[in-house]
Amino acid sequence: MSKVTINIDGKEVQAESGQTVLDTALANGIYIPHLCHHPELKPRGVCRLCLMEMADGELITACRMPVIAGMVVKTKTKKVDKAIRPTVELLIAYHHDTCRGCPAIGKCELQTVMSHLKIDRKRVRRLRPPPAKKPLDKMNSSFDYDPNRCVLCGVCINTCEDIHGVSLLYYVGRGHETKVAFYGDEKKCESCLECLARCPVGGLMLKKPVEVRH
Amino acid sequence: MPEKKCTILVCQGTGCISGGAEQILNSLETELVRQNLSGAMQIKHAGCHGFCQRGPLVVIEPEGIFYTKVTPNDIPDIVHSLQPDTVPVERLLYYDTTINRPIKSFRDIPFYYKQQRLVLRNCGVINPENIDDALAAGGYQALRKALAMKPTEIIEEIKKSGLRGLGGAGFPTGRKWEAAFQAPGKDKYIICNGDEGDPGAFQDRSVLEGDPHSVLEGMIIAGFAIGARHGYAYVRNEYPFAVHRLGIAIKQARKRGFLGKNILGSKFSFDVEIFQGAGAFVCGESTALVLSIEGKRGMPRPLPRPRTTEVGLWDKPTLLNNVKTYANIPLIINHGSQWFASRGSEKSKGTAIFSLTGKVVNSGLIEVTMGTRLREIIYDIGGGIPDGRAFKAVQTGGPSGGCLPPELLNMPVDFDSLTAAGSMMGSGGMVVMDQDTCMVDIARYFLDFTQRESCGQCIPCRIGTKQMFDILDNITQGRGKPEDIDTLLELGNSIKDASLCALGQSAPNPVLSTIRYFRDEYEAHIYEGHCPAGVCHGCL
Repeated sequence: MSKVTINIDGKEVQAESGQTVLDTALANGIYIPHLCHHPELKPRGVCRLCLMEMADGELITACRMPVIAGMVVKTKTKKVDKAIRPTVELLIAYHHDTCRGCPAIGKCELQTVMSHLKIDRKRVRRLRPPPAKKPLDKMNSSFDYDPNRCVLCGVCINTCEDIHGVSLLYYVGRGHETKVAFYGDEKKCESCLECLARCPVGGLMLKKPVEVRH
Repeated sequence: MPEKKCTILVCQGTGCISGGAEQILNSLETELVRQNLSGAMQIKHAGCHGFCQRGPLVVIEPEGIFYTKVTPNDIPDIVHSLQPDTVPVERLLYYDTTINRPIKSFRDIPFYYKQQRLVLRNCGVINPENIDDALAAGGYQALRKALAMKPTEIIEEIKKSGLRGLGGAGFPTGRKWEAAFQAPGKDKYIICNGDEGDPGAFQDRSVLEGDPHSVLEGMIIAGFAIGARHGYAYVRNEYPFAVHRLGIAIKQARKRGFLGKNILGSKFSFDVEIFQGAGAFVCGESTALVLSIEGKRGMPRPLPRPRTTEVGLWDKPTLLNNVKTYANIPLIINHGSQWFASRGSEKSKGTAIFSLTGKVVNSGLIEVTMGTRLREIIYDIGGGIPDGRAFKAVQTGGPSGGCLPPELLNMPVDFDSLTAAGSMMGSGGMVVMDQDTCMVDIARYFLDFTQRESCGQCIPCRIGTKQMFDILDNITQGRGKPEDIDTLLELGNSIKDASLCALGQSAPNPVLSTIRYFRDEYEAHIYEGHCPAGVCHGCL
């Protein structure tokens, strides 16, 4: 593998050719907001938060962009901010629950994104409230799915397909009704919990142990 | 007594069929027998004639006598008028209110003679279910000619013609063909995109229903040019007549050796199959359409990615064009690229097909030279706004397009002018609006459509379009907030820049263009709780 040098936000960094800009940035201590990226999975480019500005002004997702020797990218420009800040604000507006009681507390990627962008919760109030809370999906025997906390990054779907090779989880529905579901195949799930381990937020959570009454 | 020999064309487009054109065809057959004329007259089951508003339509050729709004009760009179020494049935003729008299032949009606029907030349003229009719109209001549050319010569002709694709960007078709030709690999595919899903658009449907052979011919030539052996015609499931007639056309073309092995004795083999879409608007996006054919959920693939011409269907090089793009190909091959390039404006060649609908006197399927002014389309062809009302806006490009105000009526319509004005050519829907249309309500309508049709994978489109819809819905109900216009602009620009595919990137256009041109209407709703057009019930 040959090494190439690229410039991210004015900082010259070394990258392996074939690596993506996002992986390079993260390896060099430059944080670029992201939710759907996972180092063990193929980049999907669906959360749209790792958008960066290319030299020609075009916005491209860093997670799918391979490094090119000498490329200059910027991740903190006004243009980038105008594109991704409303996206994060929308996510928060549609994220029903508060962080209290969330299984992802402390390791939540959405919290990381919010603090990185210094999201002003007051600005979120200008948006209309989301539709009614959706019920939990409790079909699986070992974990529950919370569509209100899920950000639909697709990491669980890809894990099931790429890591476990089972492909039981998939998107169902359209528009804001879209959610992750088992497509009626939940009995085939072996409860490897690889998906749960990779969920960047609290979309998937272990079932609470059944209380036994004495 | 000399007998008149006539062909009676009965429009069998979806519009006329819904108006009862099938019964008309049946009664016509019985009536001809009853009046002893069945020998001299030929009844022709034709595709969409274009003037959908006046349907069901019956045309008597060669004179072009044009009967509108025909019912089965009118048939005895129509047939009687075919007897020698009779006159046409005046009450069924098109009545031109500007000159206050009926017009006999459709060729003398402004709606028709102001048009330039090239792609639609056979629609409403030939029987789409009879290949002999298509052949008599010059069908498959271009294929014969193309098979004697080199693939590179064909691609060069298409490039020189200046034909552009009907995706949002108007990408040059010739360059796309060249890329597909140059892409390495033995297996390549041709796809025809007939997943027209825009509200108010029906041109792809009408071309497939009225002249399926010219689309097939274009696909076969494309297959020969890029070296593909297989083609898919992706047609919406909601277009049963289009699917039916294209199916018949494919079978007939196979029988005559235009499809299948060694086409017309050459070494080239090619076949086409129909793939019916399951009704998702987003499947009109090329990468989602490809996934849909592969049997997967139709979700667009994000950039950066290889082009479909390199990695497309089953990861093979794939050439994907719209129905009308393929229908243009035989014209270019037959008449030459120069002939084609001499039509249209500087950067948009040939013609544009629109579904002219809404508050306009003459609605229907029209074809005009690129660069025709909006005013000519709406007033000369469309006959203006009914009941002397005032023109307010015209919406082009469906949910991805924008609303254009009266100030732009003199704008020549082509790819670049529409984009510059904040709209787009897109599929070619053209909805005319009058003073009684509320622009906030229109924006709300289109956002309601896109927020439901979003595939859901990317956040800006999934939540952003829903949020924009909610704000617009609130405004139309008199619950707008002073900061809403800014919020809509901010969200709209963010969704445009951040969305993954063209659906999201163009979804805010109806809102952004109405704010750009009709901001006062938004302000009246928000600040005064008043809907100037008197449409929004919450703001009266």
